[in-house]
Amino acid sequence: MEKLLEILKTVCPDVDFETETDLVEDGILTSLDIVMIVSELMASYDIRIDVDDLMPENFKSAETILELVKRAEEN
Amino acid sequence: MDITSWQFLALIAVTLTVYILLPQKYRWTALLAASIVFYAAGGAAAMAYLLVTSVTTYFCARCIDALAAKRANLDAAEKKATRPAFDRKRHILVAAACLINFGMLFAVKYFDGVIALVTHGQGPALGLIVPVGISFYIFQSVGYVIDVSRGKARAERNYLKYLLFVSFFPQMVQGPIDRFGHLHPQLMEGRRPTADNARDGIQLMMWGFFKKLVIAGRAGTVVNAIYSDAGAYPGSAIAFAVLMYTIELYCDFSGGIDIVRGTAEIFGIDMAENFKRPFFATSLAEFWRRWHITLGAWMRDYVFYPLSLSRAFAAIGRFSRKHINGTVGRILPTSLATFIIYFIIGIWHGANLTYLAYGFYNGGIITLSIILAPFYGRVRKALRVNEESGLYRAFCVVRTFFVVFVGRYFVRAPWLKMSFVMLKRTVCDFYISALWPTVTGLGMTLSDLAVVLAGFAVILAFELIEERGVNIRESLAKRGFFVQWAAMVLPLLVILLLGVLGGGGGGEFIYGRI
Repeated sequence: MEKLLEILKTVCPDVDFETETDLVEDGILTSLDIVMIVSELMASYDIRIDVDDLMPENFKSAETILELVKRAEEN
Repeated sequence: MDITSWQFLALIAVTLTVYILLPQKYRWTALLAASIVFYAAGGAAAMAYLLVTSVTTYFCARCIDALAAKRANLDAAEKKATRPAFDRKRHILVAAACLINFGMLFAVKYFDGVIALVTHGQGPALGLIVPVGISFYIFQSVGYVIDVSRGKARAERNYLKYLLFVSFFPQMVQGPIDRFGHLHPQLMEGRRPTADNARDGIQLMMWGFFKKLVIAGRAGTVVNAIYSDAGAYPGSAIAFAVLMYTIELYCDFSGGIDIVRGTAEIFGIDMAENFKRPFFATSLAEFWRRWHITLGAWMRDYVFYPLSLSRAFAAIGRFSRKHINGTVGRILPTSLATFIIYFIIGIWHGANLTYLAYGFYNGGIITLSIILAPFYGRVRKALRVNEESGLYRAFCVVRTFFVVFVGRYFVRAPWLKMSFVMLKRTVCDFYISALWPTVTGLGMTLSDLAVVLAGFAVILAFELIEERGVNIRESLAKRGFFVQWAAMVLPLLVILLLGVLGGGGGGEFIYGRI
């Protein structure tokens, strides 16, 4: 989680990923932020995230993003 | 059929009566019949285009669904083994739907313009008439095929039910571009509309009529003349015309959408929102998230995301990270994808260099603002700007309006050179004293201007209230009988006196031929 939070902070320094629980619905993350986060995750973890995974529920919080990364690592 | 006409109101009344009388299971047939009547009024050619789109997307989605159904009963290992073949086949079917439909859109909308541009007007022309709303229903139908391909929706088996999703009559003029998963279940449900649906729908329609008939028509009085021959007018009149066009476009497009959504609401159907108070945006990117929302969402889900995550962009990302240090290297691929999206949105508006320039303008500013965001952050910190203050927010809103306003120099001019002539004259030959004689000479009276400005101020005032978290319609619904009736009768009187009888405008919508 620490590595993920560090990455997320690099991309969106103004977002409080530790406490926010509905990043998309609350309008905190835009589509641009999501793509930049995904690009960063793919480069840092050497994983492949598919366009079908770009669903709001996968980007609700740091926890859901971590789950997405774990699923991508397993695949 | 014009959605501001008495015929359209009669069509709603007849359809609603039949809709309520029919058993719930068959109510969708009333909507389909009304949709066919509405669109057939546009001619046989228009119907032919609609049939090509509905038939091709219907079959592509059914084929994808059949392929997915075959895999449903396989175990995990077999699913994994058959995945590449399945992906290849569904991608071919999506590509076929895109090629046929966007190819048809290109032939109808862009072919003549491109040939004229390349051959300097000497080449052949197809001379096809652009059917009303073709861009909107093609985008909606292709979006449906992609949703089925991604497993987000199951294909509709009944062609006529699917045809209703493609052709639902209120949306046929200028959208919104709704999603299958959102609109189709509501069309099929056939729920009996309530008195609240009727009240809310009529109120929303009247709001739309107010914008279109009272404001947009008047604001457009000077727009055509000045944009088509800007060299003959002083800069102050040109800036005035661009301001009037900015107001006209918003009232025309969002007013039309209010009429469309209000019509659907009368039937108890909630269509996708297309505008969210765009003139309160604090940046150009935010403006585009509030303006024509359904097109932006379509571009995001079906172009921006796949493009940004494609192997080509991943390669660009690896290259830029390796060779360009810092933030720029990290965000270059996303910025490039953003630029391409706004470029496409520019072209979507039409085959003219002005729209290309409009795409460049929006894409360029938003891309630069992404790249320069860390620098701006440092400047704000150094100047100790309080980003939460109302004053700073007001500054950002005014700055965004100015950026949007300058963009309107491109989007409406007949050709690109004229846009630059207009910009040059606005800066170099302003002559404020020549403004009013020019405007009145073109037929706009002081009372017209007063109605436009007061009407637009009323719209902004209501939007400001909603921007502060108040839901005006819900608040109104809680008020007493007298207030609710006053909220119906007063706007109706204003529309009748200043719109229908008082020299406002009706007729075709600006986005109707896009």
